[in-house]
Formats: sequence, structure tokens, C-alpha cells
Amino acid sequence: MARIIGGIGTSHVPTIGVAYDKGKQGEPGWAPLFEGYTPVAAWLAEQKPDVMVFFYNDHATTFFFDLYPTFALGIGERFEIADEGAGKRPLPPLKGHLDLSIHIAESLVNDEFDIATFQDKPIDHGCASPLPLLWPHDPDWPGAIVPLAINVLQYPLPTARRCYRLGQAMKRAIESFPEDLKVVVVGTGGLSHQIHGERAGFNNEAWDREFLDLLVNDPERLTRMKHADYVRLGGAESVEQIMWLAMRGALEGPIRTLHENYYLATTTAMTVTLYEPLPATVSAPVAELVR
Amino acid sequence: MNPQTEGLEDLFGTYVFDLRTSYRALKLNRFLWSMIGGTARERFLTDEEAAMDSAGLSETEKALLRARDWLGLVQHGANFFVLEKFARVARKTNLEIYAIMRGETFEEFLQTRRVPECR
Repeated sequence: MARIIGGIGTSHVPTIGVAYDKGKQGEPGWAPLFEGYTPVAAWLAEQKPDVMVFFYNDHATTFFFDLYPTFALGIGERFEIADEGAGKRPLPPLKGHLDLSIHIAESLVNDEFDIATFQDKPIDHGCASPLPLLWPHDPDWPGAIVPLAINVLQYPLPTARRCYRLGQAMKRAIESFPEDLKVVVVGTGGLSHQIHGERAGFNNEAWDREFLDLLVNDPERLTRMKHADYVRLGGAESVEQIMWLAMRGALEGPIRTLHENYYLATTTAMTVTLYEPLPATVSAPVAELVR
Repeated sequence: MNPQTEGLEDLFGTYVFDLRTSYRALKLNRFLWSMIGGTARERFLTDEEAAMDSAGLSETEKALLRARDWLGLVQHGANFFVLEKFARVARKTNLEIYAIMRGETFEEFLQTRRVPECR
């Protein structure tokens, strides 16, 4: 059976991709960001997951507002990386896992999550910005991805609770796949930032720290928050952190933080975290002690 | 009224992009979105007016685009994630646009950032 061996939370700021492509890894302004991904990349190299399931959002690249899906699962063996206005990036196309993606679609829909599916469409920076920092890709990616796009652009958005439940349904889907696969679930976006209007540039580190703590120790509380709460506390575009709740839902139960890096440089609190699920017999307070 | 966004209409400098806004500004947003395609970029750079005409934009929208009025476009209903695709064609970085929307010079804006050289 397939099993979930870990979870990753990561920002997907497009300039991470630009800095990566321009080789700015060693520049003083960028090094704290790139170095923050090294332990996660090392863990992935050691654990060798077969698949990473990405809860990400499309930035009106692949989908436009005339038909904008609330949840859309990518089906296929291969996904191109999108041209978002500045040309193609020097990365190989992403590998998909056809059988697992079809199984997930069937399982989610039969579980009453009536997602849309897409095929043969490119994936934008919502997934492609952090991916090369996590996995080597020369000459090719070491594993496959299953992308699940969540609408965090055009209100009404799915609620925080709905995203958490999507994660729980994803866990049931993955764990009912008959093949022995090691799967990592990834939630992308955030943390605090606002990039439109006169409030552009808003950040809130105290809230970001609280969010990271609640995500591990009391995700239920995060699921009770409204979009307006996220917007007020973390800036308008930080509402995309509901995608981290999908990742957390897939790790349901106690988890342990293996790594956390927080770097607020210009406009987005760029963050990467790595979590490991703990056996269900370990209670939450004990889980806290072993951190 | 969407209870999930209640009260945000009073939040400073924030414009909720909902279906009402999206419906009203669909042509403008489609035009901005089209800039991910090389052909649309070329067409715009060759003849701005013709490109805006064929997109069916209103006079207000055309004036906002001609003026590169970034904040005005957002207030009119442009979604930032398609606006940034147009910004690439107009040769503006996102950081420059954030400064403009805040009513600051680029240097002033950078001084408000923790690590301005991270760009």
C-alpha cells in the first residue's frame, strides 16, 4: 500500500525561481533562503519518496477566471512548466504518476470531493518555484508529482476547513492505492504577504510564528478561521495558507517538526518546513515533548 | 454577501477579487492574462491601441493601461496575478509596482524592507 512519509510546507514566491535560474544561491541576500531548503532536500534524497502530492495554486496561468476550478487535479505522466510572461524556465518537464493520479481522482470523487481534473496543461510557479530547491533535476527529476490546484484567487474560495478535509480525503486516497509507494504531501504558499493595493508590503511575523505553531499543535483552530481573518492577520494574499491546511489534513494526527526556516526579506515571509507523522499511539502532548 | 470576507470592504488598501468584480472586469483581466502568450505580447508592443481595441476594453480601461496606472487598474478590478503578467511586458518588476501602489518611490519602499538586496 502507498503511505505518507512526511509533509512539507513551502512558499512559492516566483522570484525564488528567478533567483534560482540566475544562480543567486550564494548571494548574501539570497543565501539564507536557499540554505533553508538544504536540510529538506537532504531528507528527500535520503528517504527517496516516489511521489510528491502538491497542494498548490494556479496564478491565472493555466486557468482563467471564465472557468476557474475550486479544486483541480492534474492527471498524466508529464506536465510542462508554464511560461508566465517571461519565457520558459531551464527545467525539464515535471513527471506525473498516471495510475496514482487517476486513483486519487476516483477516490476523492467517490468520497464526495467533486474535483475537476485537467490533462496536458502546464504548471506554474505555484508548484515550480520551490520544486528545484527540493529535488535535483539534472538530467531529470528523481520522482513524480501529483498536482492539485486550489482556488485562492477568485472569491468564493474553499474554506480553511474544506481544505483541511480535502487533505484528510487525500490521505484516504493515497493509503488505499495498492502499490507500495512512498508519498510526501506538500502545501505551498505564504506566509504573510500582500501584493496589491496601498496595503502592499504588509507582513506580520508574530502571526506567522503563531500559524506555524498552530499548524502542528492545533490545526483545528486554523480551520475555524475565516478568509477575512487570514487577510487581516497576514495580508490579502496570505489567505493561500489554507493550502498548508490541506497538507496538514493529509498528515492527520500528531506530527513532529524536523526542520523550519523562516526568511522575511522583502515582501513575503519565505518559509519552508518539514514534518514527519508520529504513530497514532503517541498523544499530542508527548509529541510536543519530543520536538 | 460572503460571510467569509465580511468586513474586508473596510480594510485599508485591500480590494477583494470576487465574482462581482471578476464579472465586471472580465475583458480587462482576459487582456492582461493574454500576455502569457508570445503572440499577444508582440501584438501589444507593435500597436497598443489596436491590441486594446480588439480586446473590447472600455475607454476607462484603456486610459488606465495607457497611463500604466497600477493602483487604478487594481481599484478598477484588475486581479494582481494577471496584472503582473502585463507588468513583465511593460518592463516593471513587482517590487517597483508595490512601491507605486503604496505611493512611495522605489528607494523609499526598499528602505522599509528587511533585506532590500534580496531581489
